[in-house]
Amino acid sequence: MPDFLDRARALPRLGLGISTEYGARRQDGALDPAALRAAHPTYAGFLEVGVELAKGLDDDAQAWAARGWPTTYHFLDVNLDEPEDFDPAWLAGMRATIDVLDPAWLCGDAGLWHFGARDRGQMLLLPPILVREAVAPMAAGIAALREATGREVLPENPPGAAFVGDLHLLEYFAAVAEAADTGLLIDCAHLAIYQRCRGLDPLAAFDALPWERVIELHVAGGSEAEVDGLGWVDDDHGPEVLADTWAITEAAIERAKNLRAVVVECERNPIPAVVPLFAATRERLPADFTAATS
Amino acid sequence: MTTAIPRQLDPQRVQRALVCMHFDPAFAAAIRGDGRLDLPEPLTAAERDLLRAVDPRALKTDAMRRARAVQALLEEYPVSAALLGMPVVDAFFSSLRFREAVFTRGSMALAFASYLEDHSALVGGVATIEAAAAAVRRAALRPLPAADVADPRAHLQCNPRFAPRIVPGGTLAWYERALIQNGADPLRTLAELRRPWRKRPPRGGQQFLLIEGKVGGSLALGGASEGLVRLLLAASRPRPRAELVVVAHELGAEGDEADELLDELAGEDLLLRVSAPPPAA
Repeated sequence: MPDFLDRARALPRLGLGISTEYGARRQDGALDPAALRAAHPTYAGFLEVGVELAKGLDDDAQAWAARGWPTTYHFLDVNLDEPEDFDPAWLAGMRATIDVLDPAWLCGDAGLWHFGARDRGQMLLLPPILVREAVAPMAAGIAALREATGREVLPENPPGAAFVGDLHLLEYFAAVAEAADTGLLIDCAHLAIYQRCRGLDPLAAFDALPWERVIELHVAGGSEAEVDGLGWVDDDHGPEVLADTWAITEAAIERAKNLRAVVVECERNPIPAVVPLFAATRERLPADFTAATS
Repeated sequence: MTTAIPRQLDPQRVQRALVCMHFDPAFAAAIRGDGRLDLPEPLTAAERDLLRAVDPRALKTDAMRRARAVQALLEEYPVSAALLGMPVVDAFFSSLRFREAVFTRGSMALAFASYLEDHSALVGGVATIEAAAAAVRRAALRPLPAADVADPRAHLQCNPRFAPRIVPGGTLAWYERALIQNGADPLRTLAELRRPWRKRPPRGGQQFLLIEGKVGGSLALGGASEGLVRLLLAASRPRPRAELVVVAHELGAEGDEADELLDELAGEDLLLRVSAPPPAA
């Protein structure tokens, strides 16, 4: 198999896109992906569909896929570092969903999506343990999923409030990407949360990451909160983006020469509230960073 | 003299302990201390040191985490929860039963069934019913085990989507009345429960039940004959057909009736042909 940077040449450029997950539009006023595409085609070049197989695809995701519009598949239910998670029934469900969405690639937070078995009431999201010993199991899972689906699998840095381990998050994901020979999805808001949590500059350890492997970026709003005097950031996907996140986004765009897609995560907000966010993201991208026409 | 083999740092073990810390502030405090930890697998000193570095305040950022998990349990164990009371339900997340589920890729709801066994004096046969329902509900989500049609060593086993159970006499009717008492919004009723129910489910006698989990999530719950329940209980693990014929005879089947009964149960998918378990080493 060619190495990832060779394989990356075949990945389509999707441009600027939006995210959704099952039932996201049940909230009053939440964003209608198709309406955004109709009103602002360049803001909704593709749909990143968050999938928990136990819930399936909602009407918005199915309608988008039925029109043949571009998608990516964002998993919400697999602990990549646990081989037992790749059970035949789950894999069959994932393949069936891939058949519906025909995503450009798979991606998702490389963290703990559920404790114990994949069962009711056991879903959560915690970041990986940031130690050298955690690299190989995560890389093995990424390679296994790529092999099982025939699609590239881009691990994403998860959010969190309690990070454990002596590696910097970017050092960990650099090591995972090399070991799995894969690309990366960097969530700029999650990275800002991590840097702040560790008391670091927003661009700390930036040089540790092989930026040529970064295929996708996420930009999202967050809210500052406090618990018992500890400041933390709630990754609430609201319309207000932290200055740290913008600083990371700008530095990432400058370095990620193989960037194919940028998602603005704001799925539970009305379109008028997030149009400025899309515009601000668009401004930071090169003028020619649009969906490739076939 | 034996020398202990130093264990390597296991990130999954650290992650699982961290999950328990998120659910249980007392356990998080115990991690930071020096005492023995009540865990299914001991942590190495290096693993514990990693966890000691976690700011306990960072474990509190999701204030509803434990409440959501409690809600998931209440949905499946509404009457057991009313009998236990909310403080006892909540204490599950500080129990070894919960930690075992986390450390062994287990099911929280099924681990709660084991926790109920530790409180059987309070919950009696009601817990048996709700635990069986939780089990068959999950079995209905999985493919059924099946043996190769031509396998001459195939065994018979009770279909995991059916749970035969023996409970004290009158438990089913008591349970159904209790569900009605919990009302149309049982979660709200339970949330407002100020103390556990004083009434207790029946204790004496025996009632034989068969609980079925259906694809799609619904349940069928009803009485069954003693013979059927005992035969299916005997088949709760894969057994050669000849052994179940003997059990059927012991339960009162005469002559060829035993074979006919097994065929009938297989025809109704109550018994499944499954592969024989591998021989014990």
